[in-house]
Amino acid sequence: MSAAGAEEKVALEVLIVDDSSVTRKMVRRAVGLCGLEIGSVLEAANGEEALAQLRQHRVDLVLADINMPVMNGMQMVERMSQDPVLSKIPVVIVATPMSEQRVERLLDLGARAYLPKPFRPEALRDLVMEILGDRGTAHA
Amino acid sequence: MLDPTPELLADVLGTVLQDSAFIFAEPVEEAPEWTPPIYSAEIAFESVRGGVLRLSTRPRGAVEVAANMLGIDPADPEAESQSRSALAEVLNVVGGAFVTRFFGTKVPSQLGLPHTEVLDSMPERRRTCVATLQLESGDPVMLELDLEPAAGPA
Repeated sequence: MSAAGAEEKVALEVLIVDDSSVTRKMVRRAVGLCGLEIGSVLEAANGEEALAQLRQHRVDLVLADINMPVMNGMQMVERMSQDPVLSKIPVVIVATPMSEQRVERLLDLGARAYLPKPFRPEALRDLVMEILGDRGTAHA
Repeated sequence: MLDPTPELLADVLGTVLQDSAFIFAEPVEEAPEWTPPIYSAEIAFESVRGGVLRLSTRPRGAVEVAANMLGIDPADPEAESQSRSALAEVLNVVGGAFVTRFFGTKVPSQLGLPHTEVLDSMPERRRTCVATLQLESGDPVMLELDLEPAAGPA
């Protein structure tokens, strides 16, 4: 990649949504280790907090759990899909193993991918690059 | 459907500890001796059969799990502050892994939200089976399953 090409790349703004503080820290660590150009990393403890963050900040990618109090991940994805602006932001569900029916339901509602916990940073990198294409740029 | 075995619980817990926290825990035969305080987490699930999973350890064991999950030193104050949250998260992943391994991924299943408590003693509770693993620090981590009885023939 040329220097000029590198300058055109914009670091990804990521939002992590999980009610577990230790999981948010783990996912944040994985985001930092996965080799992508990451800008700021925001956090939310449930879907409602996430929607508020998404309305205030530019976010390129949402990494969200499913089982959360107040507003769960499925409800959050559904609400995002009904919003003309928020529906453009890709959501990756990062959650415990679940039934095929639930995964299909999440994808039908608008989630872009499902990454089962626990996961390796490389798996996150590959998934993000697949979803974002050129925008998900890995470090050389 | 057969009831789950302690070997299945031990395998699920061992795999989750290894993959989530890079901890290699070994199964132990003897029931641990518990002294207060005991950190315990609980999660309910619904699938073909409903039930409850409980995960218990000593505070030092929970700190070890948190430190490994976060990649920090166990002496770091953050390891202690995140220890109960780490125990709940391990149980959350154990819950999903157990439900999908035992009932399969073809049937609908649902996990509740995990919650933790600090116990003065280990209560006598109804349980279908139990498995205990030993963490690298030597502390036990015990996984209990209370599975609803299977429905009888119509």
